[in-house]
Amino acid sequence: MVAHDTGPGAAAVTAESVRRTYHLAEPVHAVDGVSLSLGEGSFTAVMGPSGSGKSTLMNLVGCLDTPDEGRLEVGGRSVGELSDTERARLRGTEIGFVFQTFNLMPRLTAIENVRLPMVFHDGVGADRQERARSLLERVGLGDRLEHEPSELSGGQRQRVALARALANEPTLVLADEPTGNLDTETEAEIMELLVDLNEAGATILLVTHERAVAEYADHVVHLLDGEIASLEHLSGARDVTAREKATEGAGNRRSTGEGEA
Amino acid sequence: MNLRESLRISWRSIRAHKLRSALTTLGVIIGIAAVITFMVLGGGFSEDVVGDIEAEQEPAMTVQTQTTPEDGFGVMLVETPIYTESDVDALEQREGVEYVAPQGSLDVVQAESDGEQLTGVVDAQATTADRFEHATFVDGGPFDGADEAVVNEQAGQAFEENVSAGDELELTFEDGETTSVTVAGVAESEIGEQTPPQVFVPADEHYTTTVETPDGDEERAYPTLQIGAEGLDDVDPVQETAVDYLEDDSHAAELKADDDEIAVQTVEDAIEQFDDLVGQLTVFIGAVAGIALVVGSIGIANIMIVSVTERTREIGVMKAVGATKRDIMQLFLVESVVLGAIGAVVGVAAGLGFGYLGVWLLGWPMVYPLEWVAIAVAVGIGVGVVSGLYPAWRGARVDPIEALRHE
Ligand SMILES: Nc1ncnc2c1ncn2[C@@H]1O[C@H](COP(=O)(O)OP(=O)(O)OP(=O)(O)O)[C@@H](O)[C@H]1O
Ligand SMILES: [Mg+2]
Repeated sequence: MVAHDTGPGAAAVTAESVRRTYHLAEPVHAVDGVSLSLGEGSFTAVMGPSGSGKSTLMNLVGCLDTPDEGRLEVGGRSVGELSDTERARLRGTEIGFVFQTFNLMPRLTAIENVRLPMVFHDGVGADRQERARSLLERVGLGDRLEHEPSELSGGQRQRVALARALANEPTLVLADEPTGNLDTETEAEIMELLVDLNEAGATILLVTHERAVAEYADHVVHLLDGEIASLEHLSGARDVTAREKATEGAGNRRSTGEGEA
Repeated sequence: MNLRESLRISWRSIRAHKLRSALTTLGVIIGIAAVITFMVLGGGFSEDVVGDIEAEQEPAMTVQTQTTPEDGFGVMLVETPIYTESDVDALEQREGVEYVAPQGSLDVVQAESDGEQLTGVVDAQATTADRFEHATFVDGGPFDGADEAVVNEQAGQAFEENVSAGDELELTFEDGETTSVTVAGVAESEIGEQTPPQVFVPADEHYTTTVETPDGDEERAYPTLQIGAEGLDDVDPVQETAVDYLEDDSHAAELKADDDEIAVQTVEDAIEQFDDLVGQLTVFIGAVAGIALVVGSIGIANIMIVSVTERTREIGVMKAVGATKRDIMQLFLVESVVLGAIGAVVGVAAGLGFGYLGVWLLGWPMVYPLEWVAIAVAVGIGVGVVSGLYPAWRGARVDPIEALRHE
């Protein structure tokens, strides 16, 4: 079993032989023995063909699902050992999840959708409305605050979903194809936003089918049939930052990781 | 999650399904409106009958025979003549008793005054002048001779040409005999507006009903007595003495039917008994209306379960962004409580409205059943909690992954 280390410092997420099996007519191992470590402040892309287990892996890391086998730690806490409520707290406070299918609340306006995670998290102060507004402005939707999801375009919904993911200042941002519905220009804006977040210290895990999007990350995990096929380290694909200079010092450049675990 | 936020989200979802929410609360509205309407009607009826009786105490009490119907509420008066002349005499000897006035109906079928005949309306009672010891006369006074009579206000006004002291009345008995009396006075009636028109004539001359006493004699006997005490302080002891005597030593005790009971009541006792009866009846009808509430709460529960299923995906979203089981429970409970509370408020308003209309049509006074309004609102909220519990629990149990996949 080989741990795929994608980050320099302490690990934000550690997976050891994590397996998630769906029991249908015959068992489907959607995630099949994945070992992976995401360093704090790392930016990782996950690529792989449809059905390779990307979304399943995201759900596990996002504490929505629990592994059937293996050990998964998020923020130093073992997900399998947490109670429902503790996992809900973790989702609300540490994790920001952008879903492949947006998952906005249909009857709530854009700004109410963005406020939602703050509502369930009593820690954040009274200026929820103000904070929700500034997040929407940040994703370019300052003029769509009172629109319900049905009154927004696909790309706009995607951006509301991203703004909502950032509501509680998560340390771990999980994005399942966040640019799948966007034109290249908006895609670039969203990716820049993720890069900004990453530079501000957040750990980012991103699923994408597009090589160009994956290039924003420092590392790419290639999934195939629920297993890690390869691990890629990138750098220089985007503006070189201070942090990247540090990792460059370690001498990683487009090296391919070991195969399946 | 704080309450204001959950109210806000719940209100959103109630408003999003206006028609459905309205239909859901309808059951609660109807139930509570029915309860409140009956309470208003019951209160109005009781207020109408006893409300205008003067609270002024008089040292008098009535002796009557009562029976409890086999099914149904309250008591019925029995009109059998069981209080004999000897009983009257014996009671008069007791300490503190000022007078005992017997009273019994005469089978008068028609009364005529100044050529105007009233058939079947006027109730004729034979009694003694003592009966009017505490009565208030609007005109004249008690009768003083065989051919004199006292009428109550209702009887006085029953004729187009109001009857007053000095007028002649001709009474026709069932057997065709007639007798002429002079009205000596017009008396106010003690018991409210509901009293029928009555004519009182002296018993000695007009009352003929007799029974065979346990001693074997024939004696006149009456279905009702009125006992006057010497003063207000004597009322309680006299009442006690009278009960003791009548139940144990009197002819009445032997003459009465086994199931019958001798009741010695002051006006206040009678009002209390009546109030009890109306109260029981109102609560009974209210309980029937309460069944509508049960149906209403099943309605809320039903809709909430549908709503939980329908919103499975939303529950998944909320859980995904950090909602705990408790948060989800709270959301659904708040929603059903809001529905119940809306139902209660609208129901109370509708009930008061219908009640008001009812008492207005019946000419009764409006009574606001405040404690029932409070109970109704509490019940509405309770219905919300109870009917929301199970759906809320189901909602809270939803697995976020499953829910997010739910279409
Ligand atoms: N609830 C489920 N029950 C049974 N099988 C499932 C379930 N969820 C996922 N799977 C299976 O697990 C595998 C991985 O699914 P997953 O959604 O993770 O794929 P993915 O890599 O995200 O694909 P895509 O790129 O199309 O989104 C698929 O073969 C899928 O059929
Ligand atoms: Mg997927």
